[in-house]
Amino acid sequence: MLEHYLPVVIFLVVGLGVGVVMISLGFVMGRRRPDAEKLSPYECGFEAFEDSRMKFDVRYYLVAILFIIFDLEIAFLFPWAVVLEDIGLFGFLAMVLFLGILVIGFIYEWKKGALEWE
Amino acid sequence: MNFAIPDMAPALPEMFVLGMACLVLLVDLFVSDRGRGATYVLSQATLVGALFLTLGGTPEPVVTFSGTFVRDALSDVLKAFIYGVVFFVFLYSRDYLRDRGIYRGEFFVLGLFGVLGMMILVSAHSLLTVYLGLELLSLSLYAMVAMQRDSVLASESAMKYFVLGALASGMLLYGMSMLYGVTGTLDIAELSRAIAGVEDRTVASFGLVFLIIGVAFKLGAVPFHMWVPDVYHGAATSVTLYLGTAPKIAAFGMLMRLLVDGLGSMQADWGPILVILAVLSMAIGNVVAIAQTNLKRMLAYSTISHVGFLLLGVLTGTPDGYSASLFYVLVYAVMGLGAFGMILLLARAGFEADRLEDFKGLNERSPWFAFMMLVVMFSMAGVPPFLGFWAKLYVLLEAVRADLVWLAVAAVVFSVIGAFYYLRVVKLMYFDQPAEPVPLQAGADMRVMLSANALVVLALGIWPGSLFALCEAVF
Amino acid sequence: MTAEQFFFYAFAAMTVASAAMVITVRNPVYAVLSLVLTFVASAGLWLLLEAEFLAIALVLVYVGAVMVLFLFVVMMLDINLARLKEGFIRYLPLGVAVAVAMALMMALVVGPEHFGLERVPAPERHGPEYSNTEALGRVLYTVYVYPFEIASVILTVAIVAAIALTLRRRPHTKYQNPDEQIAVRREDRVRLVSMKPERRE
Repeated sequence: MLEHYLPVVIFLVVGLGVGVVMISLGFVMGRRRPDAEKLSPYECGFEAFEDSRMKFDVRYYLVAILFIIFDLEIAFLFPWAVVLEDIGLFGFLAMVLFLGILVIGFIYEWKKGALEWE
Repeated sequence: MNFAIPDMAPALPEMFVLGMACLVLLVDLFVSDRGRGATYVLSQATLVGALFLTLGGTPEPVVTFSGTFVRDALSDVLKAFIYGVVFFVFLYSRDYLRDRGIYRGEFFVLGLFGVLGMMILVSAHSLLTVYLGLELLSLSLYAMVAMQRDSVLASESAMKYFVLGALASGMLLYGMSMLYGVTGTLDIAELSRAIAGVEDRTVASFGLVFLIIGVAFKLGAVPFHMWVPDVYHGAATSVTLYLGTAPKIAAFGMLMRLLVDGLGSMQADWGPILVILAVLSMAIGNVVAIAQTNLKRMLAYSTISHVGFLLLGVLTGTPDGYSASLFYVLVYAVMGLGAFGMILLLARAGFEADRLEDFKGLNERSPWFAFMMLVVMFSMAGVPPFLGFWAKLYVLLEAVRADLVWLAVAAVVFSVIGAFYYLRVVKLMYFDQPAEPVPLQAGADMRVMLSANALVVLALGIWPGSLFALCEAVF
Repeated sequence: MTAEQFFFYAFAAMTVASAAMVITVRNPVYAVLSLVLTFVASAGLWLLLEAEFLAIALVLVYVGAVMVLFLFVVMMLDINLARLKEGFIRYLPLGVAVAVAMALMMALVVGPEHFGLERVPAPERHGPEYSNTEALGRVLYTVYVYPFEIASVILTVAIVAAIALTLRRRPHTKYQNPDEQIAVRREDRVRLVSMKPERRE
């Protein structure tokens, strides 16, 4: 069954080839005369005030983590949707319980205000 | 597609705890801070209800859910003690949490989910459920340790616990994948059958080593103990109380499920590994505890040494040894409850009472609780006729019976060394002057239950037979 | 060498090389990107084992979501690179010794002599009509229903833990509500008061 993946392999090889060729062409043929000013970060015409790394509000991570949890939940839904006819009522109810438990987490999240951005 | 609907009745306690934990989570959303008592009462009711459901089960062992779940005497006894211990933990923690401003529903919800994780762990009949139960428990514990967000110490210890715990989980998973590679099954009973038929055990023992690392980390056995003192010290005392008692019972269950039920035929391989873990744990735990000035750290090292003793029984590889170890872990949980409970009793708003000098002259402040602490400390030191003495005696007897006399002698020597730091606490309570003679402020329920806890240690010490008979009946 | 073997070795080499880069490159952002490559290459290995659903899930969940979060954290955290490297030289000999010992032992134990194809059966090959997603789905919701539900409990605990640990109310934050600003009417802001004319004394 792996022969099904031949187009994917060809696609990968072509994609990789195009990327590598373009970058290396630019690298070989382009003119490079770096100096300190060119290499320094550009910030609207004046000297950079601070390092580009800075502490961000933890709420960004909270949103990202909650997204990942529900992303994982979705990953469980795909095989279920494919075989729903085979696994019968039991399989259906198993997913209902799975989602039900997560809905309780969702209610908690909503009511706590984790989805609000003040 | 042939699939018979599994018998779900044996998992009734798990389903009940899950449902109630979700209910507590929802109820807590709708109560104000003053109505938090409802959360507390519901959580305690969950534990009591689960106890009835567990004790009401059928006596003969059942494997269900296509071989991923087992309910037998071992799981029932461990679960019953887990409920009891966590019941006391919640009860002791209430005032402490309120004084610290962390009296939130999440403590109880995560505590209940942790209980569910422990139940899954001790009822696991597949490597998959062992791992999932362990993760559920660990995730709840990490969050509980980190819950005191404004404390730098708590955040640091949660970070350490999380990183090392994730590493240990990875090791465990790697070992499991090796075993799966050799046998092609995750079911623990089938694994045990398949392993017995494998001639070349090299890869299996390789996986076994990683498995033991994972369990040793959870138990806190040397050399996988580095997290124990820091986490015990950094976490809020009520979380330490939770962390130091019930999960040890679950970790023992995990040890039995993996090594005895699953890899019983490889006892010749894992026995010597456990000997090393046991000796190192007893040595380092007892010696380093002497140097501690913080009671929580001292008890952490004392836990490490107790884990060493606990392993003494398991490593013999005999049913009698297992029941001695089961007895030890149950006794340890009850004693640990008493010891950390005393710190919670003395603590009040803005005062942790976790240094040794905070116990100075306790006898003048409250002779009754000084006596209770004396009972717990004597028991931990293994002074007859307290409960801890019998626990130590039974595992030592089993070690001697397994022709490991040198090991038993080493254990006795280390426990004599260890007696020093327990007795130092007693000396501080009775022969030193209190720094500030303030009367105790704890509530009536806390006083009554803590006294009951210590009296259980005393009473079971005088009549250890019933508990021991229970442990013997399991194996 | 068959094509399958060729791809196996190609993906395996890519996995090992990029995994080595994760821990050797200086810039943490490059480390995360190397980790992305590691996951993609291992997804390729899983594909060779006909575990297509898992391969896709690995790319979707890990590369698509988890690694983006990683990048997020690495780019935004204020990491002091110089301090991270402190003690590197001091622990290097010990670290190398442990690593070499581990690698040797693992090579001895899980090498072909003990873990080869003669001892452990090779996974069976399926025909072109085989669907890994279906095979997985048939057992996941029936035979493995108990672990499956535990997974959802773990996800719920993760939600509760993440919120309990990071959510903080900030009662003093001042912010605008454009909706209210636009919908404002004159009567809300201006009150006409009729009062008697005052006489100057």
